[in-house]
Amino acid sequence: MTGAGIQKADGLRLGFMETMEVDGRGHIGGLLITNQNGRPLEFQCTTPVRPNRTQEILFGETLRPWLLAELIGSTLLDRVAIKPNLIIISDPGLLDLRNHTHIPVACASEARSRLTDECQVVRMGNSVLRFHDAHTIDAESLAKQKHLLPESADLSEPLERVREALTETVRTVFAR
Amino acid sequence: MNELRSLITLPKEEHSSTELPTIGDSLPTPPEVCERITSPPSIRIDMAQTGFNPALARRPQIDTHSIHLETPLDFVPSWTPRRIPIKCIGLTLPEGMEFLPPKKDPASSPKRVACETADTVSSETELLPKTQPPRKVTRIRPPADALSLQDRLFYLLQPPLESWLAGQELIMPFEPFAYQYEGIAWLFASHSALLADEMGLGKTMQTITAIRLLLRSGQARRIVLICPKPLIPNWQREFKTWAEELPVVTVEGNGARRRMLWTMPGIPVLLANYELMARDIAEIPDEEQPKFDLLVLDEAQRIKNRDSRTAEVARSIRRRRSWALTGTPIENRPEELGALFEFIEVIPKNASPDLRQLSKLAKKYILRRTKDLVMKDMPPRIDRDAELEMTDAQESAYRTAEKEGVIQLNELGDSITVQHVFELVLRLKQITNFDPLTGESAKLERLMADMEEIAASGGKAILFSQWTKTIDWLAPHLKDFNPLIYHGGVPSKQREPILARFKQDPDAHILLMSYGTGAVGLNLQFAGYVFLYDRWWNPAIEDQAINRAHRIGVKNPVIVTRFISKNTIEERIDRVLREKRELFQAVLGEGDNENVTLSLNASEIFGLFDLKARHKDGARSIGPNPHFSQRNQTGPPELS
Repeated sequence: MTGAGIQKADGLRLGFMETMEVDGRGHIGGLLITNQNGRPLEFQCTTPVRPNRTQEILFGETLRPWLLAELIGSTLLDRVAIKPNLIIISDPGLLDLRNHTHIPVACASEARSRLTDECQVVRMGNSVLRFHDAHTIDAESLAKQKHLLPESADLSEPLERVREALTETVRTVFAR
Repeated sequence: MNELRSLITLPKEEHSSTELPTIGDSLPTPPEVCERITSPPSIRIDMAQTGFNPALARRPQIDTHSIHLETPLDFVPSWTPRRIPIKCIGLTLPEGMEFLPPKKDPASSPKRVACETADTVSSETELLPKTQPPRKVTRIRPPADALSLQDRLFYLLQPPLESWLAGQELIMPFEPFAYQYEGIAWLFASHSALLADEMGLGKTMQTITAIRLLLRSGQARRIVLICPKPLIPNWQREFKTWAEELPVVTVEGNGARRRMLWTMPGIPVLLANYELMARDIAEIPDEEQPKFDLLVLDEAQRIKNRDSRTAEVARSIRRRRSWALTGTPIENRPEELGALFEFIEVIPKNASPDLRQLSKLAKKYILRRTKDLVMKDMPPRIDRDAELEMTDAQESAYRTAEKEGVIQLNELGDSITVQHVFELVLRLKQITNFDPLTGESAKLERLMADMEEIAASGGKAILFSQWTKTIDWLAPHLKDFNPLIYHGGVPSKQREPILARFKQDPDAHILLMSYGTGAVGLNLQFAGYVFLYDRWWNPAIEDQAINRAHRIGVKNPVIVTRFISKNTIEERIDRVLREKRELFQAVLGEGDNENVTLSLNASEIFGLFDLKARHKDGARSIGPNPHFSQRNQTGPPELS
């Protein structure tokens, strides 16, 4: 693992990042920092971000990674006071965030899923983690330290919390 | 471009050497002209014989002009990517308290994942489904009264209880039931809560675990739990079982020490009994009054009289959260709920909510589950009434006492009070237990017969009576079964060893208990038999007693035997209580039979002897008012 890497067990901090689209308002993102047992330590979420028409035309297919990873993801990482040792996402489109941070980014999916593309994966807890193709060293580094997480850890579950928190935020703040 | 120009411009040499024809010149024949001008500019002109040939034969004038296509554009739009400003909403969650982990048996230490030899697996590898089947997940929901986004997010971001308690940070000795997870989540998110689960469903464990989570998540740092004095050892034991890492301090000792304990910061959990709370808190000056993050009242029906000193002191304690625990939120009247709601601070002081309001508050602030609803797999409780003919000596003594008693009551005329009738009832009930003159007892005979069978099969039984005198009288008669006595006359320090011996000694087959001391808070689920030697005034208390044995962990059916002497006051009381049990279901919802538990009121006590209820001093109704009964036609109106 490069950069911050995974530290000792009691200092392990996991980041769980999700984005979602808000009708007519753009995208929002949330980042939850937990300890190695999933207990929440910090949460940040953005206000909705909507690209203008020029950006939509000129970014083309790169609009989504730019918006979600570079804009929203990087902003969230900048804002959290507790920096995670590993960022876990569920949307492969966010893997591009790895190009803008030194922190490893992994896309979690259920351990039962069959993977067909040419990528390296690591099984941690109940999940399978995929990494950015250009940062395969992340997988190798993480594999050596995966014992720091409890076997029963469900790395997909905190992402559900983030989604619920984003929904609550939209309902409470932005729907006014 | 130049090529295009050459197409429509005549060659220079040809243009200079050939003069254009003028009018009057002899024109070349048309085919010649056509030939000349179509090559190299290939323009075809058809000549029609229309009479205008001279005009048509005139050579067309062709000119060109050039276009400068390489001229730069006047406007070039430019665009530079610009970062969209993004605002963030942040929430930092409290750190929470860390406790020293309890010493673990290496064999039972929580499992950690072992490194696998093939840490990294390549693609095209089907990952074996090592995961366990998905379990039910209990999420903590924000309470309805949490309005700020930060408060709501705090609860939403907490992990599901199952994973929180799955041996990662909080070790649980046993896997809680699903309804217990729900209760823990509900308590954790409640500032005002009345946990009213039926006895035996684990209110203690749910409360301790919720306390543990509050401390761990930094939501509370100082908690006080008040319970009846006999239950202090029980709570100490349960804390040891369910939250071994929590430092629990019991308020005891002399006045100075107790005051120090009440006011000393840094004690996460303080345990005290009602009597000490009422005495000590009142003596602490205002400026030194302790402040707690959570105040829990166990057996909270103790404050059902809101004017009592205990209730007033409990309400005066400064706290941020208030939880009340009771298996019988209503013992006598729905209005008793008002006192509990006032304690948990959901109604103003001295407010008297009507039935509709009580019902609405109950839905919001009371969590009540019954065994029928949540423990469908629990072995059943088998109730059987043993209607016994008294012995001759008992019969004679009873009839004489009743006859003389009724005569005396009638002689009192208008000066009769409920107390007079009550005394007669007690005297008669004692005779149904045993004849004080001869010591004969039909109930004892039946009990001996049953106990021989129970002891032969290695079983254990609990017997309840309302009189310690009866218990002391029974003990020598039951010596073959090694009876143990547990009532208010037994010093507190001796009680735990008695319960421990009853559990561990295979020869101790029967535990004799009084309703007052043994009915609440004890876990005796290893006893398969319960005898109610005499009847209490209130079925709720009887149920509490029975549920010492019929509770979580019970492996076999519990057989409950109620002794009722035929043609006596016991039979009449039993009939009235049965009718009253069906009277109210309104406040706590349908299907809840445990709270339809109303004591006899004055009119009913007079009715036991066909005496007319007086409406003077002493005849004050202690039951529900007639107005309430008529609005809830689920049973007969007030008996008189």
